[in-house]
Amino acid sequence: MKDENGADSEGSPLGQLITMESWRIPETSVRRTVKGAVRHLMAQLRQGIAPEEEPFQSLDDLPVLSERQRERIAPYPDYFAQARTLVASLETLRTSGAFSRDVALIVAPPFSGLRESLVRLPTLGPDGATDPWRLVAPPEDLCMTEAQARQWWDKQDLASAWVIPELGDFWLRHPAGLALIPELLRRVAAGETGPGIIGCSSWCWQFWSRYLPDAHLGPLTPAPLDAERLGRWFGNLSILQDRRPLVARMADDGLYVLPIDDPDDGSRRKHAGFLRDLAIASRGNPGVALAIWQHALRARPEESAEAEEQTTDEAGRYRECWVVHMDQLSLPTMLQTYDRAIGFILHALLLHDGLDEERLAMVSDVRGAPLQLALSRLVRADIIERGDASRHWRVTPLGYPTVRRHLLSWGYPVDEF
Amino acid sequence: MEETLGGLKGLFSTVTSQAVMEAAIVIAAAAMLIFLIQKLVPGVAARLGGKTRLYLLASVPLLRLVIIVVTIVVVVPILIEPSFENMVAIFGTLGLALGFAFKDYANSLIAGIVTLYEMPYRPGDWIEVNGKYGEVRSIGTRAAEIVSPDDTVVLIPHSTLWNALIANGNDGTDNLMCVAEFHLTPGHDVRRVMSLLRDVAFTSPYTKTMKPISVVVAQHPWGLTYRLKAYPLEPRDQFRFVSDLTARGMDILSEHGVCPASVPVSVASPA
Repeated sequence: MKDENGADSEGSPLGQLITMESWRIPETSVRRTVKGAVRHLMAQLRQGIAPEEEPFQSLDDLPVLSERQRERIAPYPDYFAQARTLVASLETLRTSGAFSRDVALIVAPPFSGLRESLVRLPTLGPDGATDPWRLVAPPEDLCMTEAQARQWWDKQDLASAWVIPELGDFWLRHPAGLALIPELLRRVAAGETGPGIIGCSSWCWQFWSRYLPDAHLGPLTPAPLDAERLGRWFGNLSILQDRRPLVARMADDGLYVLPIDDPDDGSRRKHAGFLRDLAIASRGNPGVALAIWQHALRARPEESAEAEEQTTDEAGRYRECWVVHMDQLSLPTMLQTYDRAIGFILHALLLHDGLDEERLAMVSDVRGAPLQLALSRLVRADIIERGDASRHWRVTPLGYPTVRRHLLSWGYPVDEF
Repeated sequence: MEETLGGLKGLFSTVTSQAVMEAAIVIAAAAMLIFLIQKLVPGVAARLGGKTRLYLLASVPLLRLVIIVVTIVVVVPILIEPSFENMVAIFGTLGLALGFAFKDYANSLIAGIVTLYEMPYRPGDWIEVNGKYGEVRSIGTRAAEIVSPDDTVVLIPHSTLWNALIANGNDGTDNLMCVAEFHLTPGHDVRRVMSLLRDVAFTSPYTKTMKPISVVVAQHPWGLTYRLKAYPLEPRDQFRFVSDLTARGMDILSEHGVCPASVPVSVASPA
């Protein structure tokens, strides 16, 4: 199924919505699970042996792609197209009778592209069947009483099609910052609103599903990307940008990664297990998978990064690049810490899908010098970054897998994805 | 008695110096292995969090028991011929010695083995025995070692198991319920305070929100007592967790004009 941009909605990360109960982590092997667990244990044990953590570095000798090459070969997705795909998926579910609510709550793990897609919905215009989407933005001050929250929602126009790109922007994990979301969910449950879409980070929903255990809003979620969907998605991203198919092969043994299909002439290609490993490492999360994919791509050894056009074959029919084995990739590692501050900060950032410094101090209860020191260490380790425009601190997509795993082993409540 | 001792004398008369040396080497190796396990495994566990830490800590006494049993099985045939008569002589003598001279010690040893089987407490558990509360640091052959919140080591003989009440806070898991108490004067909206205290627990960064959080209230002649029950991220966070809940709770109650109850203080005049 292709949309008007030529994107394959089956390969698109938001192209298939499912219920949260039916979400399953991409299938893994016992060997990979044991290997992952041993690596995690070793990473924890290594902490303290090398006290000064450093940013991750490439462990191979192949030249990394230039920014221009990366934008052609592994660009960020077209969020407008994803927004269209998302609305189409919802309509398909409604038509089939699998989903009948006026307000769709879509829960997705961080970096799924849900916020970026939903925020573009109002600019798409009406599709004929519905009114134009209206964006509901959070108030400046999130600290308010229940009465103030009711007044604030009364002022919002929720009668016609509305969209909240990220519910995490409407609360603070602070006794004064909890009023808005229960009031919104109450109105949704009571049917007092018109049709709408609420995007919600899986970490945020993990908190609110505990805080309001009776909030049964039938949340939907994008299906996880398995190896095949990842392959199709990466292939589509490259084609949309470059208009030529991408041929990616393993740098060590030359086995094919992309394209995932065999050629039309009937010959069979030997494919590597990279995409399967990537699906497992990213837990089917498209943003994390794309970040690792970008990090794993390499130019040919004999090419310089500037020789852009040499990554195509002589006839220019396809673009070619190399992929480093997952074991050779050096991803960010968690900091050595015996203090809760690091965990509090990371958990707060994930709960709210990013926070500015003032709110981060308020939520995590880590302030002043300890906060600055912890942020500085996390930035050096490439685990968090600060948005240029928003000035919000966020976990990096490459750092997310280790952050999630460590928060889990440190006893924090983590999301279900 | 004399017959048994005579049999035992005859039993060991065939022991050569080479056999004693071999047995000593095996025993020394076993002791070294136990020493290393007792030092290294808790060190490794300290670097890990959650269930992995608890499993590793719990494996120490089990490994030690296995090593002791294997050592006995290896050493006995080195020293004596393991015939039926010899075994009767050995265990008869051991029984006499344990029965008279080391009764209490044997009691603790046997209770220690029962401890490993019944597991009333494991390393990493927070227990209270005879008014002493702390985290089980290690389980020795004769006694368990707990560390109190004030960093005092308390040795609890395993024989206490037979006749003492043992309260285990987390029972081998990393879930330990904590209770923060608030004593308040009457004349406030009870449901509102319960809701505020629930919010306090949900917004503490120490709270394990996937576990139940509840607030219970009881009335007294002087006011009301609220008990806020929740689980910290890890059992070792319990004191910081209760302090955090108390501080946050008092802040928010003060903002809403709810006053803590206070007991009148009487100062006795010097005699």
